[in-house]
Amino acid sequence: MIGQSRVAELELPGAAVEGASTRPAQSYWNESWERLRANRIGMAAGVLIVILALIAIAAPLFSLAVTHFQPQTIDLGATFAKPGSAHLLGTDELGRDTVTRLIYGGRVTLGVAFLTVAVSLTVGAGVGMLAGYYGGWLDDILMRLVDTVLAIPAIFLFILMSILFRPTPISLALIIASVGWGNVARLVRGEVLSVKQRDFILATRSIGARDVRMMVRHLLPNVLPVLIVAASLGVGQIILIEAALDFLGLGIQPPTASWGNMLTNAESYFFHSFWLVIFPGVTIFITVLASNIFGNAIRDAFDPRLK
Amino acid sequence: MSSRGPLGEAAKTLTRAWTTADPLVSVSDLKVWFPVSSGILQRTIAHVHAVDGVDLEIKTGETVGLVGESGCGKSTLGRAAIRLLEPTAGKILFKGDDITHLRGERLRALRRDMAMIFQDPYASLDPRQTVGDIVGEPIDIHHLAKGKERQDRIREMLRVVGLNPRFVDRYPHEFSGGQRQRVGIARALAVEPSFIVCDEPISALDVSIQAQIINLLERLQSKFNLTYLFIAHDLSVVKHISNRIAVMYLGKIMEVAGGTQLYKRPRHPYTGSLLSAIPIPDPVVETRRERLILQGDVASPVNPPSGCRFRTRCPRAREHCAEEVPPLEEYGDEHKAACFYPLD
Amino acid sequence: MTQALLEVQDLHTVFATKEGTVKAVDGVSFELNPGETLGIVGESGCGKSVTALSIMRLQRPGKIVGGKVMFKGQDLTKVTEDEMRDIRGREMAMIFQDPMTSLNPVFRTGWQVAEPLRLHHGWDSKKALTSAVQMLGRVGIPSAAERARDYPHQFSGGMRQRVMIAMGLTTTPAVLIADEPTTALDVTIQAQILDLLRHVNREFGTATILITHNLGVVAGMCKRVIVMYAGRVVEAGPTMDVFAHPKHPYTWSLLRSIPRLDAERHEPLKPIEGLPPSLVDLPSGCAFHPRCAFKVERCSRDVPALQPVGDTQLSACWVTQAGTELKGA
Repeated sequence: MIGQSRVAELELPGAAVEGASTRPAQSYWNESWERLRANRIGMAAGVLIVILALIAIAAPLFSLAVTHFQPQTIDLGATFAKPGSAHLLGTDELGRDTVTRLIYGGRVTLGVAFLTVAVSLTVGAGVGMLAGYYGGWLDDILMRLVDTVLAIPAIFLFILMSILFRPTPISLALIIASVGWGNVARLVRGEVLSVKQRDFILATRSIGARDVRMMVRHLLPNVLPVLIVAASLGVGQIILIEAALDFLGLGIQPPTASWGNMLTNAESYFFHSFWLVIFPGVTIFITVLASNIFGNAIRDAFDPRLK
Repeated sequence: MSSRGPLGEAAKTLTRAWTTADPLVSVSDLKVWFPVSSGILQRTIAHVHAVDGVDLEIKTGETVGLVGESGCGKSTLGRAAIRLLEPTAGKILFKGDDITHLRGERLRALRRDMAMIFQDPYASLDPRQTVGDIVGEPIDIHHLAKGKERQDRIREMLRVVGLNPRFVDRYPHEFSGGQRQRVGIARALAVEPSFIVCDEPISALDVSIQAQIINLLERLQSKFNLTYLFIAHDLSVVKHISNRIAVMYLGKIMEVAGGTQLYKRPRHPYTGSLLSAIPIPDPVVETRRERLILQGDVASPVNPPSGCRFRTRCPRAREHCAEEVPPLEEYGDEHKAACFYPLD
Repeated sequence: MTQALLEVQDLHTVFATKEGTVKAVDGVSFELNPGETLGIVGESGCGKSVTALSIMRLQRPGKIVGGKVMFKGQDLTKVTEDEMRDIRGREMAMIFQDPMTSLNPVFRTGWQVAEPLRLHHGWDSKKALTSAVQMLGRVGIPSAAERARDYPHQFSGGMRQRVMIAMGLTTTPAVLIADEPTTALDVTIQAQILDLLRHVNREFGTATILITHNLGVVAGMCKRVIVMYAGRVVEAGPTMDVFAHPKHPYTWSLLRSIPRLDAERHEPLKPIEGLPPSLVDLPSGCAFHPRCAFKVERCSRDVPALQPVGDTQLSACWVTQAGTELKGA
């Protein structure tokens, strides 16, 4: 009954209506994905990161089927082997195969990076969301906490931690994340404060939504682009931090290979075994570059106006 | 309808049960102040007196128009009336229940009975949700329907507001302003409210679209027996849609009357100048019109003038106006005005 | 017959967008006579603002791709950027909807109002400022000498619009273009500004183009009006005649769709159904035909030209050009 009386108005002749009815629905995510796909360099960087991650995950497989070496197998008969058919990228002072160690090192380095990002994002987003949404005393307390965390000299913390216990990939990730979440929290809080001002939040309140729904269904999806951008740009930074810690001996300890600690002794052998420096260095460089390019591509895809 | 009173037996203030003959919404001496803070300690140094002692009754099925210039507190009053803002003082009765300080689940239950339509059809819809999500959300929140029944209900709501139900999976940005406003109206209607606050629902729309939305609101009102508080700055629109009009200035109601009565015989000097300021789309009328042009700007709501708030711009103001606040006085037939020296 | 002060002939302005070329102004012609107030009325996206910006050559990123803007014997679409800059400050002034964004927040108001005088007349700061203060007083800013030392954010919306008008008038231009000057203002402030514009028109003899979506404002301000829809002029003529017996169905239905304050009884409004068209994908023929209650077969095929209909009006409509009266329930 109601429907029939309105039929005349349904078939609105304006172009906007017709356009909307013939095109497939364009969600924000779809559109961003389309823009990202159109960015060739960005996509290439993304694909590279995925490939590196897959290789790292499948490291044992590679060591069995492709390189035929174990990362920690010492072969004193083949120290400082040049890159060649037996050892694709040569060997180190203990005769360990560089490719195999790079692949296993990638496991550690990328694993630490992704875990760090995941932890700091989760904690940071949670804290930022609560502080931004509730405001008031909770905001005051949480943000003072963030200020405190951000004031801790990170390097001091890292030294202290490496003295107290031998860092494993997981503990290292937690340590780096423990100073990294503060910035995420600030970012998310700022974004929540701005989204909170928009009328649709009031509209959602006006239909009786609970706080959890407001945060999960409305604020989070609107804050998510910022988080994704932070995550993709974060991976590169964490890799650099992790490599630096390992190099300084504050991170992952030998004999476990990581891209950073592979460089630790390499400097002394640079003149006769340059590959020990070049290959881990180049790997780190390419990975960080790819992560930065991909992060920027994602940001452009989410918000073309920022470009 | 009264069987779905959200408050159960508690908080009744009427000695007898509320009936539709009583005011649906009754606001008395309502104050909504916002703190102004300053300094590093964010100490409150003053208050914005957004709504500062308002009495207003809205009867079941009527449309009360609320007009005034920006900053007069009309939006704040509308939001406070449906408890989207916490009142500083005063009392709000809804269907006879005191809802002034309702909280938690009882307040959430009340949300089924009142809704709001917003000014900006761009900002008031979540850009990450489809039209179906937006209209379906109130249904989910109040557990009104599930599965296919829910889908049917969403489609029905879209049809009611004149949108093609095929659009459920589309996103707000694919629509024009007028169509988005229809989505916002569908969301408001989805809980089957009895009272809707329309906060400038057409002022962001194109001229040729405004009439469509006004007519839609009128049709929905008679179809669903809705009561509206219609907030707008455009007195011509308000006069068209409202049974009664309340004129606000700096947080206070200056005059309340039926639309025609208000237009023909305004009592408050502010109403008079407001009416005279509204351009009429007829050059014959316009050339003959006498213009009362108000001088100056609206005073600050942080530190409103003593006595009558309009006195700083009022051509009829005398000494007495600064000393005492004029009360709303009856001028017969539901016509009230707050002025010591009214127009005749 | 007086010589027109400004003559816009078959103006075309386009914008390149992702979806294709948008013809924002599509063959607009009109003249502005000395001392008159001409109204340009239409909805958002009808091209009224782009027309004004094109006259001032401020249409970027749009491009003027055809037509002429004749002003004092020269075609403004052809003059160099330097010459245009000189004309903009000296001969033509423009005021906008949002006076806040048009004023620079970091300079004192008086300094900004005096700027055209320093720039175009080469006056020294002191002389320019004295003149600016005088002008601020003339547009109704109380204690102008003191207020000239304030920054724009210290002014209310209406006062800022007065400042903009003062700034435009310092060089006593021949043409003032006001683009929705009161849309952002409250009605009582709108009344003040409209009154000021009337006063300016009388006292300075400045010819004014008033661009607005508000038919009431046109009715009270303009002797002549042009109505735009989808980038084209659909109707033009004396305001009295256009409002009394519109010769284009768009004008006709628009006037019936808006509520009037002086309406005697409550009658349902008669809205124009449908939506304004997308400029990227205009309907064939007359752009208004999908929403038009009077359309005939020809309307979806051929674009009607603006032709005289009746004694004083011009209309771009096949129906009225054929002599049909517009009427209906």
